[in-house]
Amino acid sequence: MLRRYTSLYWFFLIQRFKILMEYRLNFFIGLTSTIFLQAAGLLGIWVIVSQVPDLNGWTLDQVLLIYGLLTLAKSINHMFADNLWVIGWGYVRPGGFDRFLVRPINPLFHLLADRFCHDGLGNFLVGAALVIVSSINLHLVWTPLNLLYLIVVVISGGVIFIALNLITATSAFWIIESIPVTQIVFNTHEFARFPLTIYPKAIQLFLTILIPYGFASYYPATQILGRDPGLLAWLPPFVALVLAVFSYRVWLFGLKHYGGTGS
Amino acid sequence: MNRLRHLFNVYGAVLAAVPKFYTAYRAWVWMEFVVQILAMVVLYFFWQAVYASGGALGGLTFQQTINYVMLAQMLMPLVENRLIFNFGWMLREGQIAIDLLRPMDFQARLYVDAVGNLFLNLLVKAPLLIMAVVFFQVQLPRDVTTWLVFIVALALGHAVMFFFDWIFSCLAFYSTETWGLSVVRVAVVTFFSGAIVPLQMMPHWLQTTANLLPFAQSVYVPVSFLSGVTPSSAAAQAWLIQLAWLIGLGVISRLVFRRSLRKITVQGG
Amino acid sequence: MSIIHVQDLSKVYRIVEKDPGLAGSFKALFRPRYKDILAVDRISFTIEPGELVGYIGVNGAGKSTTIKMLTGILLPSGGAVRVLERDPYQQRVPNARDIGVVFGQRSQLWWDLPLIESLNFIQRIYEIPPASFKRRLDEFAETLELKALFGTPIRNLSLGQKMRAELAATLIHDPQVVYLDEPTIGLDLLVKERIREFIKAQNRQRNVTVILTTHDLGDIEEICQRVIMIDAGRIIYDGPLSLIKARFGKFREITLETASPIGLFALPTGAEIVQQADQRLTLRFDRTVTTASQVAAAIMNQLEVADFSLAEPDLASIVKQIYSGALHA
Ligand SMILES: Nc1ncnc2c1ncn2[C@@H]1O[C@H](COP(=O)(O)OP(=O)(O)OP(=O)(O)O)[C@@H](O)[C@H]1O
Ligand SMILES: [Mg+2]
Repeated sequence: MLRRYTSLYWFFLIQRFKILMEYRLNFFIGLTSTIFLQAAGLLGIWVIVSQVPDLNGWTLDQVLLIYGLLTLAKSINHMFADNLWVIGWGYVRPGGFDRFLVRPINPLFHLLADRFCHDGLGNFLVGAALVIVSSINLHLVWTPLNLLYLIVVVISGGVIFIALNLITATSAFWIIESIPVTQIVFNTHEFARFPLTIYPKAIQLFLTILIPYGFASYYPATQILGRDPGLLAWLPPFVALVLAVFSYRVWLFGLKHYGGTGS
Repeated sequence: MNRLRHLFNVYGAVLAAVPKFYTAYRAWVWMEFVVQILAMVVLYFFWQAVYASGGALGGLTFQQTINYVMLAQMLMPLVENRLIFNFGWMLREGQIAIDLLRPMDFQARLYVDAVGNLFLNLLVKAPLLIMAVVFFQVQLPRDVTTWLVFIVALALGHAVMFFFDWIFSCLAFYSTETWGLSVVRVAVVTFFSGAIVPLQMMPHWLQTTANLLPFAQSVYVPVSFLSGVTPSSAAAQAWLIQLAWLIGLGVISRLVFRRSLRKITVQGG
Repeated sequence: MSIIHVQDLSKVYRIVEKDPGLAGSFKALFRPRYKDILAVDRISFTIEPGELVGYIGVNGAGKSTTIKMLTGILLPSGGAVRVLERDPYQQRVPNARDIGVVFGQRSQLWWDLPLIESLNFIQRIYEIPPASFKRRLDEFAETLELKALFGTPIRNLSLGQKMRAELAATLIHDPQVVYLDEPTIGLDLLVKERIREFIKAQNRQRNVTVILTTHDLGDIEEICQRVIMIDAGRIIYDGPLSLIKARFGKFREITLETASPIGLFALPTGAEIVQQADQRLTLRFDRTVTTASQVAAAIMNQLEVADFSLAEPDLASIVKQIYSGALHA
C-alpha cells in the first residue's frame, strides 16, 4: 500500500516536471519569485534587529534560525500541498473533483499529488540558507543526532502546516470559495517567525494549543540552541501526528458531505 | 460647461463600477480585514520587543514608530497595483483596441479607476484605523492641517506610483511573463516604499537607494506626516519633490505608452 | 443475473436559500432556510451485462445525478444501488476499478502532455498489467485511429480527437460497465459516427455494458436497443427504442427553399403546412403514411426547389408527449 502510493507519487512528480519543462521560463520565475518575496521581509527584519542588541533576549542569528525553521516547514506545505488552496474553484466548482472519486486511489492523495508546486522550492532554498547561515554564525555543532532532530522537526512542521490547511480547505465542500478561510488561519504562522516570548501569554498559548505553529519554529529552536528547551521541544512529531489524524477525520467528514450534496 | 458635465458622467460611471466589483468579492474583503489585524498584532509585539532593549532607532520614538508601521501597513494597497495584469489581459483578449476607441483618454480612465480603488480600499480600512487607535495605541494627529498635508501627499504619492506602474506595465507589450515581473516589482516596491521599515532606520546605502527610487513618495512621505515623523511644516518641500516625480514620470509614461502601442499596430495585435 | 440493480433510488439536493446582500448571507449562516430539490425520484431499473442503454431526458431531468449515484460519487438519499454486486458509494475504490466514466464536458487527460503520457498514467493508477495495456493500446491505435496522436499534447488536439482520446483513456483498463455522460457533445457528424461505431464494437467484442446520456437522438438510434427516459426525476419510459419511434417519431418536418416565390401547389398526401413564407415552406408529414422522398418529389414536381432539409423530431418534444401521457393513450 505504502509502496504503491510512493511509486505513484514519483510517477505524478515526473509527469509534473515534464509539464514544467514545457514552460521552462515559468519554472524559473516561480522559483525566484518566492525568493524575492521572502527577501523583502527578511531585509526588513535584518535592518531592524541588527540595530538592537537582541530581541527579547534573542540575537539576530537566533531570530533568523527561528525564521528559517518556519520557512522550511512552510516550504514543505508549499511544495506538496499547494493544491489545497485551490480545491474549491479549481476542482469542486468545475466538477473535476468527481474524477478523483471514480479513480481507484485515495482522493486526497490524488488531489495533493496532482500538482507538485515548484514555487515552494524557492521557499525551501531560503529556509535552508537561513538555517545554514545562522548556524554557522552561532557556531552550532551539527551532530548526527542534532541533524536527525532537525529533519524530524522540519517534517513535523510541514505536516502541521498541511494539516491546518487541510482542515480549512475542507470548507470548500460547503462554501466552495475556501481560500479566505484558509488564508486567515494560514497567516497566523507569521506570529511564529519570532520568538514566542515577545507575545503575551494568551497568544503564546494560542500558538501552542489552538493553532500550533509554535511547534514548527520556536520550540524546536529552543532545543537546537539549547535555550531552556523543556518538554515542548520534543512534542513536534506528536503534535503533527495528532493534527494529521484530526485533519484527515475532518476531510473525511467533508467528503461525506460532498457525497450528500455534490455541490 | 457641457464638456465638464460629459466628463463627470463618463468618469462617474467608471467610479461607480468599482464598488460593484467589491461586493462580488465580499468574503475576500473580510479576509483582508482579519489578515491585516493579525499582521498588526505581530507588528505591535515585534516593535515592542525591539524597543524593549532601549534606544530610539533612526531617531524615532516607540510611539512614532508604532504610528508609522501601523499606518504604512494600511496603505499597503498602494504597493499592489494590478495595472500590469490589466494590460496583459487587454492585450491577450484584444480588448485594448476597444478601450482605445472609447471616447475618453485611456490613461485618464484607468487613473480614475485606480483612484476609485484607492478610495474604497481606504474606506474598507477605516474600521482598522479605529482598531489601531483603540488597541494598538496609535495616535492620530488632532489638527486639520496635518490631515490635509497627508491627504495631498497621499494623492500625489498615489499618482507617482500610478505613473511608475504605467511605465512598468508597458512591459506587458514586450513580454507575456507579466506575473513573474510583477512579483519582483512587489518585492522591490514593498521594501523601498518604506512600507515595512521607515527610511530613517535603514542603513545609509539602503536609504540612498530608496531616495533615488520613486517608491518612497507613495508610502513613506504621506505616512510620515500622519504618524508625526515629519512635521507638517516640511510639507511644501515634500510636495514639490512629489510633484517633480509626478511630472517626470507622467511625461515619460505617455511617451513609453505611445511607443509600446506602435508595437501592436505594427504587428497587427 | 443483472449487473446494475436500482431500486427506488432518490436524490434530494438541499440548498440554502439566501437573501441578497450581506445581511442575507449572515441570516443564511445562522438561520438557514432550506429548499429541497428532488432531482431523482424513486426510480427503479435493472440492467443486464452487455446491454446498451440510452438514458435520456430534458435538461435538469436528473440524468447526471443518476450517473453520479451509480458511479459512487454521490450518496443516494433513498433507495438502493448495486453495481456488480457492490454498493458503489460504500465500496468506491473496488467499484472504480471495474467502471469507466466519461464526463463529456470535462477531460481527464493532461492538457500539456502528449496523450501517451496520460495513458501511461492511467495504467499506473489502475495497475493494468503491461501486456494487456500494450494490447489495448494497439487495438485503440487501430479502432480510434489514435496512432498518429499518441505523441501530441492534448491542447493541440481537435475536439473530436480529444473525445477519441478520452474514450481510450476510459476503456483502457477494460471496465465492465461504462458510463458516458454526453460523449458526443459539440462534435461533428463524422466524428459522432466514428464514436458510435467504436462503442458498438466494444460492446460486441467485450460485452461491455454501456449507459449513455445524450441529447442527440441519433446516438440513441445508432447505439441503444433500450431507452430509459427520465423527466423531473421520474422514469417515464423504459423499453425498446423501436416502440418510441413508432409512436412518437411518427411526424417529421421537411423544409424547402424555392428558387422563385411560391405560387399555388397541391399538398402531398399525409403532409400538412407548418409554416409558409415567400420562398420557404415547412411541411409536417406522417412517416407511417408517406416518406420524405415522396413528399419532396411531389413538391418538386410543382415548384422549383433550390434546397431542402429534413428535421428529426426533437427529443424534448417526444419527452413532452410521453410525459403528457400520450404513450399510454
Ligand atoms: N449539486 C447540486 N446542488 C443542487 N442542485 C443540483 C445539483 N446538481 C444538480 N442539481 C439539480 O438537480 C436537477 C437534476 O440535475 P442533473 O444535473 O441531474 O440533470 P441532467 O438531466 O443531467 O441535465 P442536463 O441535461 O442539463 O445535463 C436539476 O434541477 C439541477 O438544478
Ligand atoms: Mg447532465
